[in-house]
Amino acid sequence: MERTVTRRQVLKAAGVTAAAVTSPWWMVKSSHAQRAKKLVFWHLPNFTPLADELQKQQVYEFAKSAGLKDTDVEYSTVAGEQAMAKLTAGIEAGNPPDVIRLYESNVQFYAAGGHLLDLHDLVQRMRREPKGIFESSLTAVMYKGRAMGAPLAVNPWPVHARLDLLEQARLEYPKTWDEFIETSKKIQSPPRLFAFGMCLGLVEDTTDNVMNLLWCYGGKMVQADNKTVVMSSPENVAGMKVIEAMFKTHKIIPPGAISWDNSGNNKAYQSKQAAFIMNPTSVYAYLDGNDKDLQKVTGLFPVPAGPKGTVNQIDTWSYAAFKKTPYPELAKGLIDYLMQPANYDKIIQSTGGRWVPVYKRLFDSPFWKEKPAFKHFIQMAETGVPVSYAGAPTPAAGEVLNTHLIPKMVQRVLVDNWEPAKALDECHKRIADVYARYEKA
Amino acid sequence: MRSVTRTRRVLKWTGNVLLVVFLVWTLVPFYWMLVTSLKKDKEIYGFEATLVPRQPNLDAYRRLFAQTPFVKYLVNSTIIAVSTTAASLVLGCLGAYALARLRFPGRRLIARGLIFSYLVPPALLFIPLFTVMSTLNLIDTRHGLTLVYLSFTLPFCTWLLLGYFRSVPLELEEAALVDGCSRMSALVRIILPISLPALAVVAFFSFTQAWNEFLYANVFVNSVDVRTITTGLTLFVVEDVFFWGPMMGAACLATIPPVLIYLIFQRWVVKGLTLGAVKG
Repeated sequence: MERTVTRRQVLKAAGVTAAAVTSPWWMVKSSHAQRAKKLVFWHLPNFTPLADELQKQQVYEFAKSAGLKDTDVEYSTVAGEQAMAKLTAGIEAGNPPDVIRLYESNVQFYAAGGHLLDLHDLVQRMRREPKGIFESSLTAVMYKGRAMGAPLAVNPWPVHARLDLLEQARLEYPKTWDEFIETSKKIQSPPRLFAFGMCLGLVEDTTDNVMNLLWCYGGKMVQADNKTVVMSSPENVAGMKVIEAMFKTHKIIPPGAISWDNSGNNKAYQSKQAAFIMNPTSVYAYLDGNDKDLQKVTGLFPVPAGPKGTVNQIDTWSYAAFKKTPYPELAKGLIDYLMQPANYDKIIQSTGGRWVPVYKRLFDSPFWKEKPAFKHFIQMAETGVPVSYAGAPTPAAGEVLNTHLIPKMVQRVLVDNWEPAKALDECHKRIADVYARYEKA
Repeated sequence: MRSVTRTRRVLKWTGNVLLVVFLVWTLVPFYWMLVTSLKKDKEIYGFEATLVPRQPNLDAYRRLFAQTPFVKYLVNSTIIAVSTTAASLVLGCLGAYALARLRFPGRRLIARGLIFSYLVPPALLFIPLFTVMSTLNLIDTRHGLTLVYLSFTLPFCTWLLLGYFRSVPLELEEAALVDGCSRMSALVRIILPISLPALAVVAFFSFTQAWNEFLYANVFVNSVDVRTITTGLTLFVVEDVFFWGPMMGAACLATIPPVLIYLIFQRWVVKGLTLGAVKG
């Protein structure tokens, strides 16, 4: 039997095919269109419920002042670790939040993708505040000479040190890494207490801890041109030999540190199994709410000096607004409102030292002057460098951090017993490949 | 004779020892969750890992109920898991029955497509699904999340029921049709009552999948009012600080509903797994 195809069937099939083929376009288009209803703010939790509550209040205060109703605002709390998957989906669907807080290199990553609103004017206004802002925070937000995010806080990575143990041994906080090793040997009592909770697992904190020590020996990952990788330098070799000696010869780092996650050093300090750790003040803020006794005997210090002096790490969180926002002026206005020193100071202080203000004049407040633990913060914020030093926190630097190329090098030395020079050579090639790829793109 | 008995005894004891090992392997994580939720922070972070809490207390649970919207998460998870289960059962039964009994073009293709669609990993689907959900204005809604969950529960449930329905003798249904039943009435009065074990498996599977799902719940839900337990747990990790007590407490409580469901349906689940699941 011969089967005939009618004109109507052909038209139907053509209609269905056309709809299917063009569906991604109209779905994304209409997806974006239906978003034009609320001002969307994604909040990443801070360390105190009070800080979270204050921030929420301020977002709604701003909305009210801008003539919006509470129902015109969508305030979502997104757990930090999960935010990136959500954000990726939101951007792909043309439906990202209007305002979000981004970590370090993510500002430049999304700026490079053309996703962020230019906040240069706003940041310039921040810089014009009396005493200005810590210029060190700008490396994270500047992309092609424009500020694509508003630096929210400078986070120093001080050494958390057990003052009670130093006092018992009648020792001062060590000024150099050589002194640090000697002091460590005197105050530790393994296996219950190791001196140095240095993170050495395949995680981001390892890159931070290791690079911080290498800087003191004159080492770097990349030059300031953000192109020339210098990982296999003699200075880095010298620094890696010190880390190797601390782990294998002096045994001041717990053996388990090679398998720690990002919370490993926190846990070691919080459980009094480490006398020193290098970490943002999240540990100090945690102790504020959970172990006041330990907090009282915790000092926060700059890292000891190496042959090239002391170099301290900072990282920077920033507010950013997405271009897809149907309310660009409201989004910028919200960031402006949150960053007004009077509003901002309330939130910063309510985090109990977790967030260090980006405005220099806020350090005049008794909050920062009364606690000896905060004594070194202003100097650290002033001179601190990002983990990508001497380069900026570019997308390439972000990939190096996220793919753990430096922790893998460390494990070559400590686990596979490679010579530091050989491990650094391998690491250099890998990092150079990453930077070359981004340079081409 | 004696050596046969001894061999049997040795085999029996070996089996028992293996069972105990697996039992410990399975139960220790739950035990650890429970005792951690009853410890104080100082003990959790202490040098020695204690198997029995030194000063058992309910602080973590108090904090969970007083300072976090845990109850809201629990209610949301329950609503979404129950809705997904109910929809999977109804739609799965209808779909499987149609594929098993009715003759229409593309029937085989659809049956195979069920498995293929089930095998696509959620990590590939969440971005296109986000677009669809945004377009339909279903982001951040419980019914939206339920619909998304059906994308993975429904293919599996339909496929499983399809195998089971095919094993039901056609004559039973034909007799019902001769006696005046409609197709729907034959399905409801004849097929479903004798498919109870398969339905129990489908229900249990859908419930646990929907209860434990994380990725879609994380991506498609923003507000506290719609958040489920799995995504709520992540809020006990703030950067590199873990709030172990409340997190373990929440995890302990979150395991109770699936365990209860399993205990209720256990008899049918075991039967269903051995009968329906192997036919296809």
